[in-house]
Amino acid sequence: MSDTRPGDPELTTYRDVQLSPDFSELRRRFRRFVFPMTGLFLVWYFVYVLLADYAPKFMAHKVAGNITVGLLFGLGQFVSTFAITLLYVRWADKKFDPDAKHLRDQIEGETK
Amino acid sequence: MSSAMSLTGIGLVIVATIGIGLFGLRISRTTSDFYVASRAVTPRWNASAISGEYLSAASFLGVAGLVLVNGADMLWFSVGYTVGYLMLLVLVAAPLRRSGAYTLPDFAETRFQSAMVRRICSGLVVGIGTLYLLPQLRGAGLTFQTVTGAPPDVGAAVVAVIVVINVAAGGMRSITFVQAFQYWLKLTALATPIFVILIAWRSGDHQIGVLHSLQGAAAEWAEPLSTAGGRDHPLYSTYSLLLALCFGTMGLPHVLVRFYTNPDGRAARRTTVVVLALLGMFYLFPPVYAILGRSFAPDLVTGAADTVVLELPSRIFPGTTGDLLGALVAAGAFAAFLSTSSGLTVAIAGVIDQDLLRTRLTRLTGGDYLAVNSFRIAALLAMTVPYVAFRLTGALSLADTVGLAFAVAASTFCPMLVLGIWWRRMSTTGAAAGLIVGGVAASAAALINVIGAPTAGWPRALVVQPAAWTMPLAFLTVIVVSKLTPQSIPAGAARSLVRLHTPEAVNVDRNPTPLP
Repeated sequence: MSDTRPGDPELTTYRDVQLSPDFSELRRRFRRFVFPMTGLFLVWYFVYVLLADYAPKFMAHKVAGNITVGLLFGLGQFVSTFAITLLYVRWADKKFDPDAKHLRDQIEGETK
Repeated sequence: MSSAMSLTGIGLVIVATIGIGLFGLRISRTTSDFYVASRAVTPRWNASAISGEYLSAASFLGVAGLVLVNGADMLWFSVGYTVGYLMLLVLVAAPLRRSGAYTLPDFAETRFQSAMVRRICSGLVVGIGTLYLLPQLRGAGLTFQTVTGAPPDVGAAVVAVIVVINVAAGGMRSITFVQAFQYWLKLTALATPIFVILIAWRSGDHQIGVLHSLQGAAAEWAEPLSTAGGRDHPLYSTYSLLLALCFGTMGLPHVLVRFYTNPDGRAARRTTVVVLALLGMFYLFPPVYAILGRSFAPDLVTGAADTVVLELPSRIFPGTTGDLLGALVAAGAFAAFLSTSSGLTVAIAGVIDQDLLRTRLTRLTGGDYLAVNSFRIAALLAMTVPYVAFRLTGALSLADTVGLAFAVAASTFCPMLVLGIWWRRMSTTGAAAGLIVGGVAASAAALINVIGAPTAGWPRALVVQPAAWTMPLAFLTVIVVSKLTPQSIPAGAARSLVRLHTPEAVNVDRNPTPLP
């Protein structure tokens, strides 16, 4: 690594953070939650478009009155966007922030 | 439509905007106030402000216009605008806040330690901002023309002047209050006529044949992925549009800077939840205008479709009710132009100020100038370019032009941010190459659109909705070039990544890039 000049206390902190298993674990956990979630919700939007193209009969199926499956799914896009956001915020508040705080306490404890 | 009443409405919006702006002036004093409102805006205010800023002419007038002409496919605009925020939140918002950079060029410089990459980013911010400001000015011109019959130049000039005054006077702090107010104004203006129509319909004293309009010839229009309105290759176009909107939002200069106005990451997340609710609520209404427009203003389908929101109230209710509702909608439309243009102008002016103006001013005056004055000159410049562009270019659909701005952002800043934040081996040369290749490809498509796009078939589809090919091209360029030039991986890359991914309260030298 290039930023490991000896005798620079600030850079040593960086290195410690970078190398600490807790930090990698934190990043890994973030990626493990966020990347698949992003993938999933993108797939859901794109599948909707595909359904509209290849299964118009299914989308035009009337559930009640003039309300079709397509219309319900369409409104569902908004609802699901909101649901995903709430899910992410809950996860970040409950899981990610406490872990991050733990890491912080550890680092600050060590450097003080 | 009564022009006196509408002009009064527009006048009130302008007075309120300037009034709140002046109120903000008293509390904005430092450079940090100007740029990011000292990072001290509460989530609820901030969410209203973000939504107020985000809902532009394209959302207020353009979406309804596009749905009116092209049918159900265009509803993706509203979904995409909303999802873009979610992508921004989960992928880049937190790391970017932690980087301590105020603007996209700041981020580029800290991550890639290269003045060249920074300059490319500055150029792109000005380019994307201009492309986004153009439809705001056009919308203002169109509204003024619909209301008074005056030539479009007048409305555009009014918006340009007011925005420059307001931005130069108060910076971000005052803008935050103005934007928050304008969100609620826009929602009220768009929703009230629909509720009045619903009441009239329920009470049975008005024949509103919504469902009849969807029968027969119009059935194709209501069907998804139809080629109504002469759009070929609907599947490709829809995918391309979705990609542009999902991944472009994070690269819009005025959107990103808003996330810095939150005091911490937790507040930033709260803000986003409220923003999504506010945007979702707003986007329920434009499609209703389009559907009603099919029955009450069929002439607009082949004419000035973007004016359907303005025209509809007086078409349904001739007389005073229609005039009043028309005035309300016109006022709301002006709020849309003013708020988005103000946000964009702050963002562009910030970049012009830091990257172009300061060094020159220092050389000219020997350092004898106020930093805030440099920002004011920059604000003037930031609005002059799009105004000139507006005078030179022809009529383009509002939402389509905005879509192009998203496409350019998705093909340039999105790869830079996503890979820059998550991939340590991204090299400086790779970053520059990706920005240039994506930027040139997407801007070329945008330019062809402005000059005159091909009329049919694949050439048209590829040029009107370029994101599906320009965005992967940009990602690929970054990855391939970075692999080929490992020697230009910036020396501090590991250090930058630690800074981007360590929780905020850990002290790892996160001071914002000092302003010169």
